[in-house]
Amino acid sequence: MADDKILIVMTSGPDTPRRCATPFFFATLAAAMEYEVTMFFTIDGTLLLKKGMADTVFPKAGGKPVSGFIQDALDAGVKFTACTASMELHDMTTEDLIDGIKMVGGAYMWQLAEDAKTTMTF
Amino acid sequence: MTEVRGCNLPEDLYYLIDKHVWAKPMEDGTLRVGMTAVAAKLAGSNLAGVTFKAKNIGQEIAQGKSLATVESSKFVGPVPAPVTGVLIRGNEKLAADPNFVSRDPYGEGWIAEIKPANWDADKGSLATGADGIAAYQAKLEADNISCS
Repeated sequence: MADDKILIVMTSGPDTPRRCATPFFFATLAAAMEYEVTMFFTIDGTLLLKKGMADTVFPKAGGKPVSGFIQDALDAGVKFTACTASMELHDMTTEDLIDGIKMVGGAYMWQLAEDAKTTMTF
Repeated sequence: MTEVRGCNLPEDLYYLIDKHVWAKPMEDGTLRVGMTAVAAKLAGSNLAGVTFKAKNIGQEIAQGKSLATVESSKFVGPVPAPVTGVLIRGNEKLAADPNFVSRDPYGEGWIAEIKPANWDADKGSLATGADGIAAYQAKLEADNISCS
């Protein structure tokens, strides 16, 4: 059922670790339910895609780092897209990003939102 | 009972090894399907829920596509269909206690019943009997998985 698309907009970043596990968990869950899931990273969410950064962010002290939740989502087939303008905000380049991220503009996000049956924002 | 690397794997079931699911032909031509002891081990012993999409009931699910979703606080994953078939119903008992899946994966913890599209043709794609268990053992060794 390829028409069952879900968009998750991720704006939370390393400053709010407790907001950084559930979005990925929900994305992985939706992929397991055969939804086609895309995450769009903007504002501080993009920082989580910086190489090494998510290894240092722990939603729960002593628990799994955000990088583990990201890997689960990628393994489940969740597509990751990142906002080019937010890269500029954080002085990041594409070389700073972990593998598997597609860079897109804001208009692409609107296209994703129009195509999706459900959109969630974190 | 056949035990491989600490995992109980009955020889009379049909396995889709890569997805760690089993199928058992019932007398009425339907299939009972579930997760293997291996999948139950990977999912952990504290499951929070086994969920079926309501609109999937009565619909054909292709081999390898998700029949149900299993989740705990740390794990989430699909229960893929061992062969293509129509999802008849999920195991209602799992709503009250999803951990039947880990305690009794081949008995009370079955996941769903499906009406296979073409069992005679499709069962050839599944592993069964002593040869099937040997193939499953090879997979567990390659992936370094054990249930103990």
